[in-house]
Amino acid sequence: MWLPQLVVRLALWLLLAPLLPGLINRVKAWVAGRRGPPVGQLYYDLAKLWRKEVVWSTLASPAFIVGPAVAWVAVVGAALLLPLGPAGAEWSFRGDVLLLLYLLALARFATAWAALETGSAFEGMGAAREVSYAVLAEAALITAVVSLSLQTSSVSLTTMLAPTAGAGAVLLAAGLFTVLLAENCRVPFDDPNTHLELTMVHEVMILDHSGPPLAVILHGAAVKLLLFSVLLVQAVVPLDQFSRGVAVAVLAGGVLSVTLGVGLVESFLARLAFRRVPLLLTTAFLLCLFALLVAWKGGVQ
Amino acid sequence: MSGTLNVLIGLAMGLNLVALGSSRLPALIQAMSLQGVLLGVMPLLLEEEGFNWRVAVVAAATVIGKGIVIPNLLRRATRAANIERESDPFLGFVPSLLLGAGGTIAAVALARALPLLPEHAGTLLVPGAIASILTGFILLIGRVKAISQVCGYLILENGIYLFGLLLIHSTPLLVESGILLDVTVGVFVIGIIVDRIQRAFDSLDTRRLTTLRE
Amino acid sequence: MSPGPILLLAAAATLSAIVAGPRSARAWLALMLTGTVAGLAAALVVLGGSVDWEWRSDFALGGEDVHLRLDGVSALFLVLLCVVGGAATVYAQDYWSEKQYPQSAPRGRAWWGGLLLSMTWVLLCANGLHFLIGWELFTVCAFFLIRRDDRRPAVRAASWLYLAASHAGTVFLFAFFNALAVRRGSWDLDAMRDQAELAPLFWLALAGFGIKAGMFPLHFWLPAAHANAPSHVSAILSGVAIKMGIYGLVRFSGLLPVPAAAGWVVIGLGAVSALLGIAFALVQNDYKRLLAYCSVENIGIILIGLGGALLAASQNDAPWGRLALAGAFLHVWNHGVSKALLFLGAGSVLHATGTREMSRLGGLWQRMPWTTGLFAVGAIAVAALPPLNGFISEWLVYLGLFEAASTRTIAAWAAIPAIILLAVSGALALASFTKVIGIIFLGAPRTAAASRAHECGRMMRGPMLVLGGLCAALGLLPLLFWPAIARAVGSWRPGWADAPAPVALGQLSAAQVLLGVAGVAAAAWLWRKARGGSARRGLTWDCGYATLAARMQYTGGSLAGVAAGWFDWALQPELRQRRPRGQFPASAFRRERIPETVLEKILGPVSAAIRQLAAVARRLQHGRLQFYLLYVVIGLAALGLLVWLEGRP
Repeated sequence: MWLPQLVVRLALWLLLAPLLPGLINRVKAWVAGRRGPPVGQLYYDLAKLWRKEVVWSTLASPAFIVGPAVAWVAVVGAALLLPLGPAGAEWSFRGDVLLLLYLLALARFATAWAALETGSAFEGMGAAREVSYAVLAEAALITAVVSLSLQTSSVSLTTMLAPTAGAGAVLLAAGLFTVLLAENCRVPFDDPNTHLELTMVHEVMILDHSGPPLAVILHGAAVKLLLFSVLLVQAVVPLDQFSRGVAVAVLAGGVLSVTLGVGLVESFLARLAFRRVPLLLTTAFLLCLFALLVAWKGGVQ
Repeated sequence: MSGTLNVLIGLAMGLNLVALGSSRLPALIQAMSLQGVLLGVMPLLLEEEGFNWRVAVVAAATVIGKGIVIPNLLRRATRAANIERESDPFLGFVPSLLLGAGGTIAAVALARALPLLPEHAGTLLVPGAIASILTGFILLIGRVKAISQVCGYLILENGIYLFGLLLIHSTPLLVESGILLDVTVGVFVIGIIVDRIQRAFDSLDTRRLTTLRE
Repeated sequence: MSPGPILLLAAAATLSAIVAGPRSARAWLALMLTGTVAGLAAALVVLGGSVDWEWRSDFALGGEDVHLRLDGVSALFLVLLCVVGGAATVYAQDYWSEKQYPQSAPRGRAWWGGLLLSMTWVLLCANGLHFLIGWELFTVCAFFLIRRDDRRPAVRAASWLYLAASHAGTVFLFAFFNALAVRRGSWDLDAMRDQAELAPLFWLALAGFGIKAGMFPLHFWLPAAHANAPSHVSAILSGVAIKMGIYGLVRFSGLLPVPAAAGWVVIGLGAVSALLGIAFALVQNDYKRLLAYCSVENIGIILIGLGGALLAASQNDAPWGRLALAGAFLHVWNHGVSKALLFLGAGSVLHATGTREMSRLGGLWQRMPWTTGLFAVGAIAVAALPPLNGFISEWLVYLGLFEAASTRTIAAWAAIPAIILLAVSGALALASFTKVIGIIFLGAPRTAAASRAHECGRMMRGPMLVLGGLCAALGLLPLLFWPAIARAVGSWRPGWADAPAPVALGQLSAAQVLLGVAGVAAAAWLWRKARGGSARRGLTWDCGYATLAARMQYTGGSLAGVAAGWFDWALQPELRQRRPRGQFPASAFRRERIPETVLEKILGPVSAAIRQLAAVARRLQHGRLQFYLLYVVIGLAALGLLVWLEGRP
């Protein structure tokens, strides 16, 4: 019984994820009055890359190719830990939320490792930014987790994400949305469309990747974006108060509106100067911290 | 009633942090003026038995004074002095933000320990007041531009105003009008000083005032 | 089978190794291995069973009966000692060989045996006087091992600093044991939880053992000592010796009553050690120093767990304390094993290249694939990434803290900041190890020394393989080791005995195994798909720049620079630079140094002030008899005044 379920769930995650970047690009095109690439552009790109030949640096070790695979498995594993509204999670146990956080960290480690393989200063720069900003993003994320755990007295994602986030929901939503933007390297932290390597974070780490490994990296990034959107929606919206069908619709709608939000942010904001990034991430941390305090107060009364 | 009031005070506390985290002076002034408007509305919410025209006048005066007149003066000053942002302050933006947040949390925790009247215990008035005063001090200490310091002073005054709201039933408006007077004087004095510094030094950097110490 | 005879065998083997060591390396290796395997067997017998081993002699040693006890807690630490000790013994054979160090190697073997024996003695002693003697022997043996290479001034300085710091700690311990003996009238160390008046003594123990454990403000001796010692010695110092400080804290917080604030202080010190330890690690350029600072961080994590347990114990034995303590105990093993592996790997890099500066290395994976792979295993383990062991123990500590937070009692106010700091230091650890691996092993060699590196021999690789395998086993099959941890938890606090493994631990380990398998499968698949073996290779693209040079690679300083900037208040970097000026700049340089803040900014000035005071006081001693007689008169007058004052009503 569990095997078909796992297959369906995995297929959902893997197949739907590349839709999100496409949607974001559509929103941006719409705002700018352009026609823009088709929604399924990333699918075409992935299919094309998957068939391509690989060229890799003479300096790189096998970990250059193993790294993306490990990062992909870590992100997909984290995604499987996440409950999907009424469908629950594939695995659920006490403390699974910590496994989720640390799997994302493993993915970051593997990506940064693969980037450093090439000996290129650009990719070192990207890796440095990735691992450094993650420090602040991690603080915000764990604070959000503590606030959810305080509300539900649980450390298991299925229970933590089911009820409403309470009075602090707005704060939590703002904080988690900022973390989403930072962790997925979107504007205002990073510009996925920039052509200036000096100002990139994620894109510059994968400059030297090509063919199937690059496809795996791009797909993993899409899954990560979907993962954060699903996490954000479930943390804020009390899905357990709806019937099954409505809950699924609300979840899907929530993910779409997060996507829309990312698109709008990218249309109207410019990338921040790097020295301003810590300030914004600290703000995200504080938002989550105040959500935590609200959760604390809410429980006492 | 106290629910709406708490939301307003919460917003005002949030604006404190915005003020601490923004490097652009217009944003800082914006945050301060918004806080002034929020504070102006509060006396209306505190009034339990019906409409009181005296309170309404004070509210209107506060909104106009704190929310429109003073910010406009300051905006004019920034334009005249031609400065847009606070560059290299004594205390960086992230540390001052963290300090402000820590101060706010401490204020909430401290207010619980204070022996307050039962009707004030449920509201955020006292923590909000303490947090605003702290924010004002952080801005006054940590920033170098005179205009940021004026804003810090005004936010500090907002905190005192919040304390004044506690007394609105016993000594209505007396406290408040006294404070408003203070502020007006303060703003004028600082306005003149700003103008003088600007003319004398071609800059609004208060660090340069140290050359005056002899 | 009783552990007694096995321990006797271990002791006999190690003693004969000390005697035979200087003459024959082979005999030493065989005897030391016999000793460590026997010690391990004895510890496992105790951990596997439910009875403690206790032995009291008929004769007295220094006026006291010898009283030995091997219970869950000491067996836990003994296992670590024997595993790391055995692995490092084999490693030392090649690493510090007779051929390279004809003078230093033979004596080193004797001190090595002495170190292991004295640490075992400390673990077994249940008598305060003998404990102190063992502690002192252990310190002295470690001192001589640190200065194996005593031609280098840095090594000598580090060893003296170590000795001075250790003795400062011993002073506290001396006071502690003396006060204990005076108040109880006996040197015997038995449970005395009911004597509440002993509680304040905990602070003395915290200071004394804290110096040995290297918790944050008292860590000042640790980076220099661990970086300058030979790598097999660093492995045992970082893997085991600092855990002896933890052992002391665990032992005496279990036997004695503790003050109410103990849990708070320990958790606070742990959080500070974790955060600042890893912040200092991040900016180091010497990779052994980086590993040493990382030990400070991990001691912090262990202390957070122990502090949580103390807090829970003071709050009516809250159940989350067990999880936190189990996490701390498991972390003692995990960190011991993975840090030893990392130091052995660092030793093999040092052996191959002769430099401890990361900025002179690079691209070592091509010549040292085994070392690279094993170092990576250690790095993943110590950065607490799944699916290896570090994550399991941090997960247990987290779980305890999360439960403490959701009780919403006063304990939550300690737990919530600890959780956040733990997460932040975890992310910083990831950054640090990205830096170590990226700069040392990946990219292109930055110097000729790095390009001429060679893989280490089989005698060095073997122990690293064993330790790496243990990292994987502890990470993938934690349930196998749980009974031992639970036994130790029960010895610490009898009320917490026989805790069943949390159900979630089984589920977590299943998830880890699945993820490990999936990771390997995906990697193999992608490798095949990309035709990794035969794919076309080209220059690093680097945005089209064709003459890429090794010197143009990103440096460790820049890699760490972003995050390190946030810790300038603690790191206090010293920057000397001359910027390039003009159209044709003649010269420019930039030199950044991270001082040992505690040592140079606090202890240095304080000791300088003391020296100045002493110099003033020295003027009193000038050799003129008349003045000495004057002193005597002044002294007598002062005494008389004192008597007179006392006598007044």
